[in-house]
Amino acid sequence: MKKKGKGIGCTFYGTGYGNGFPDVSRSIAQLERDGSVTVYVGATEVGQGAKTVLSQIAAEVMALPLSGIHFVCENTDETPDAGTAAASRQTYNTGNAIKRTAELLLKEMKVTAARHWGVSTPGRISMDSGKLVHPENAAATLSYREVAMIKGQELLRVEDSFTAMTTRLDDETGQGNPYWPYTFNVYGVEVEVDTDTGKVSVVKAVCAQDVGRAVNPKLIEGQMDGGFAMGLGYALMEDVNLQQGHMKHDRYSNYLIPTAMDLPDLEKIIVEAPESTAPFGAKGIGEPVMLGVAPAILNAIYDAVGVRMTEIPVTPDRLLVALKQHEGKEGI
Amino acid sequence: MALRVVGQNEIRVDGKAKVTGKALYPEDIYMDNMVFGKTLRSNRPHAHFTLNLEQASQMPGVLRIFTASDVPHNAHGVLFKDHEVICRDKVRRVGDPMAFVVAETEKEATAARDAIQVSYEDLPAVFDPEEALKPGAPLVHEQGNLVYRFKLRRGDVAAGFQESHAIVEQEYRTPMVDHAFLQPESGLAYMEEDERVVVCAATQYPHFDQLEIAEALALPTEQVKVVNPAVGGAFGGREDVTMQIHLALAAQHLKRPVKTTYSREESFYAHSKRHAMVMRLKTGADREGNLLATQVTIYSDTGAYASWAINVLRKAGVHATGPYVIPHVHVDGYSAYTNNPYAGAMRGFGATQIPIAHEMQMDALAELLGISPLEIRLKNAFVPGSVTATGQTLSESVPLVECLEAVAEKLGLKQSLREVSP
Amino acid sequence: MKTIQLTVNGKEMTLTVEADQRLLDVLRNNLKLTGTKEGCGEGECGACTVIMDGAIVNSCLVMAFQADGKSIQTIEALDSEDGSLHPIQQAFLEEGAVQCGFCTPGMVLSAKALLDKNPTPSKADIQEGISGNLCRCTGYHKIVEAVEKAADTMKEGGESHGTARRGTK
Repeated sequence: MKKKGKGIGCTFYGTGYGNGFPDVSRSIAQLERDGSVTVYVGATEVGQGAKTVLSQIAAEVMALPLSGIHFVCENTDETPDAGTAAASRQTYNTGNAIKRTAELLLKEMKVTAARHWGVSTPGRISMDSGKLVHPENAAATLSYREVAMIKGQELLRVEDSFTAMTTRLDDETGQGNPYWPYTFNVYGVEVEVDTDTGKVSVVKAVCAQDVGRAVNPKLIEGQMDGGFAMGLGYALMEDVNLQQGHMKHDRYSNYLIPTAMDLPDLEKIIVEAPESTAPFGAKGIGEPVMLGVAPAILNAIYDAVGVRMTEIPVTPDRLLVALKQHEGKEGI
Repeated sequence: MALRVVGQNEIRVDGKAKVTGKALYPEDIYMDNMVFGKTLRSNRPHAHFTLNLEQASQMPGVLRIFTASDVPHNAHGVLFKDHEVICRDKVRRVGDPMAFVVAETEKEATAARDAIQVSYEDLPAVFDPEEALKPGAPLVHEQGNLVYRFKLRRGDVAAGFQESHAIVEQEYRTPMVDHAFLQPESGLAYMEEDERVVVCAATQYPHFDQLEIAEALALPTEQVKVVNPAVGGAFGGREDVTMQIHLALAAQHLKRPVKTTYSREESFYAHSKRHAMVMRLKTGADREGNLLATQVTIYSDTGAYASWAINVLRKAGVHATGPYVIPHVHVDGYSAYTNNPYAGAMRGFGATQIPIAHEMQMDALAELLGISPLEIRLKNAFVPGSVTATGQTLSESVPLVECLEAVAEKLGLKQSLREVSP
Repeated sequence: MKTIQLTVNGKEMTLTVEADQRLLDVLRNNLKLTGTKEGCGEGECGACTVIMDGAIVNSCLVMAFQADGKSIQTIEALDSEDGSLHPIQQAFLEEGAVQCGFCTPGMVLSAKALLDKNPTPSKADIQEGISGNLCRCTGYHKIVEAVEKAADTMKEGGESHGTARRGTK
């Protein structure tokens, strides 16, 4: 018999290394002779979209199109340390570092322009479509290329950093402010349980993800889709199956991960609640997108068949055993 | 503030190279005069061993077999330096590296690796974190099996349970799982003319790899350069170094580019796993469904090495309440060494395991109280200004209720069970 | 050692291969066509997918000598020298179907083989068509959307221009 049920999973996630550990990102920004900007930063693109999102943050500050930013992250000689591509920290932490670095570069460019114009108030120089505008004469402008040319052989190059807010927890009470910011995630799913085979199919899924501010909605959706797939695998399929320290599942033919056939549509809701300490309000979501999936599925299984599966993965074998035990109890 | 670029669906800047197959992952890099390395790994979970290299070192094409004695400072690890770069005489898990064989071709390196004779003397082993903490358990490392003890105390849980109308108590278990990123580990190291060693490998943190390599080889940091080409997924599995130091060591000695590429199975044995956890929760609420107390005990299996054991358990403990206000909280966490594969970072980092427990507790409590899963969550959900179990005030950007309501609407969930037609 | 003749991306070639070499090894090591990836070596993940005589194969399961007389198409055949992309590649890029990119070449080729046979696939057809290709990053949704978009583009643009332009098969 096929039985349907619904479940939700609610989670939060504290960003960063935490516990007072110095969580620092550094970056360098350089004005090139053609007026474009190169960002040097040791933040790894693992597929999550760091290069794109961090470039967008730099482009926003510099009022350049994305194509005006070159992003270099691939080796330790050219880039300063921006910490690990983990803990959902690159958008927030390194994003902040890049925002500050770009702002510093812009400030230096204004100082250069002020000298060129002979004005004493670089802070009053404004920016309009990628050009610096004279504080008293709106018709006088300098393109970034012209600013670079004024500097001549010397390239404008600045470095800045950002350090996350975190305090060490008390060893005995666990009290303190370990992480910042926190990100919220809720999944809701509907499952169909085949009580004859023990197979659980997720037939409907919704994810609402707090992002602070969406830097690139399509990339966020991609993270949500991927987190959902990984969470579904965690709930229903994956286990290295340890036997005396040996993994019985150690390759794709026996360690099963979801294929395109295993996943229902995922309705994706991006919830914005800008965080004031974040770059343009944006928080990291690489990990949060996975957290609510397994609990939602487990709760939906209970709703469908009345058994709480307290051990994952809920494989058909395991569920059949639980269903038999449950029937036995109900029969008494 | 009007934003122009932030908020736009800009096309991924690394996308074009990837759709055309031009993106270079480490295994796609070929150099002149390149040679190949293969790692000999233990097939015992806990054993002393000796190697007989005589036959293997005379195999065709073999250039050198690196062992523990070739590594100047034979230790690495993200928190504790408890991994040996190449094990000297003891293995603590299946898959521990015992030798690194370099030959002219990959086939020759594999043949020589397989020709190394290993004598094992098995040691008693332990495979369960609770067992590992009992007196008399086999010691995985000399200093004892307890890697980290986490404590969180807020309010008075005994009083909280006393006031509770409904209490649920349950144990939850999650297994070790693999990141299963699509690109198995691969890397290439070579010497630059100025005697600097360059390591190309897919990593999450090039500057940390640089430090690990420099320390192990007793080199100044600036003598090591890490190049991070395209990375084929990571999810936490590329935080601990795998072959980076082996390659740098070999390139340094042989003065030739050295490459190694793991098979899928070797990849499973080479990198960390998600911590398996046993989580015991007792949670109480008043008649209306307001959470009053939760007592949580977590046993976390870090396997043979610590990696991020401390930080992962801490993250699980800090998030043990779920995103809910609970006045009385008591969390005890234990992270223990075992002879299982080593566990480390994986997407969610402790905050992935614990929601399985707290979210099932919520549904069980709701059922006992006759309210809906949605209602009990809305009643207790963090809102701006809420204080967490660690005493941290969530001052802003806390749109949990908005998320919950959005999901409930799309899924057709009722706020209250009483709304369901009779 | 064995001599084989095959066509790779429209170029006929004669190669000397070892008896235990796989087609994947020949493509990557001998021809340096490194867009074809190895993810598992046992035909489970599809990262090494290439098109052989019009059908997708896992090149890790095809011995080099078995490719004798065959025509092989790899990811390197799809985009033009002027930098313009095949509609499937373009759709992958625009729809956000790429993350780490390691499965992408195989995924694109599976999509191409599908669309070459069935220019108007249903969503279920697409899911089935790429079910031999594992992806750990994207959850597949945007890949399916990209293939749907590519099918529409290719329908509008007449025959599958990737094959017509290349004339490889």
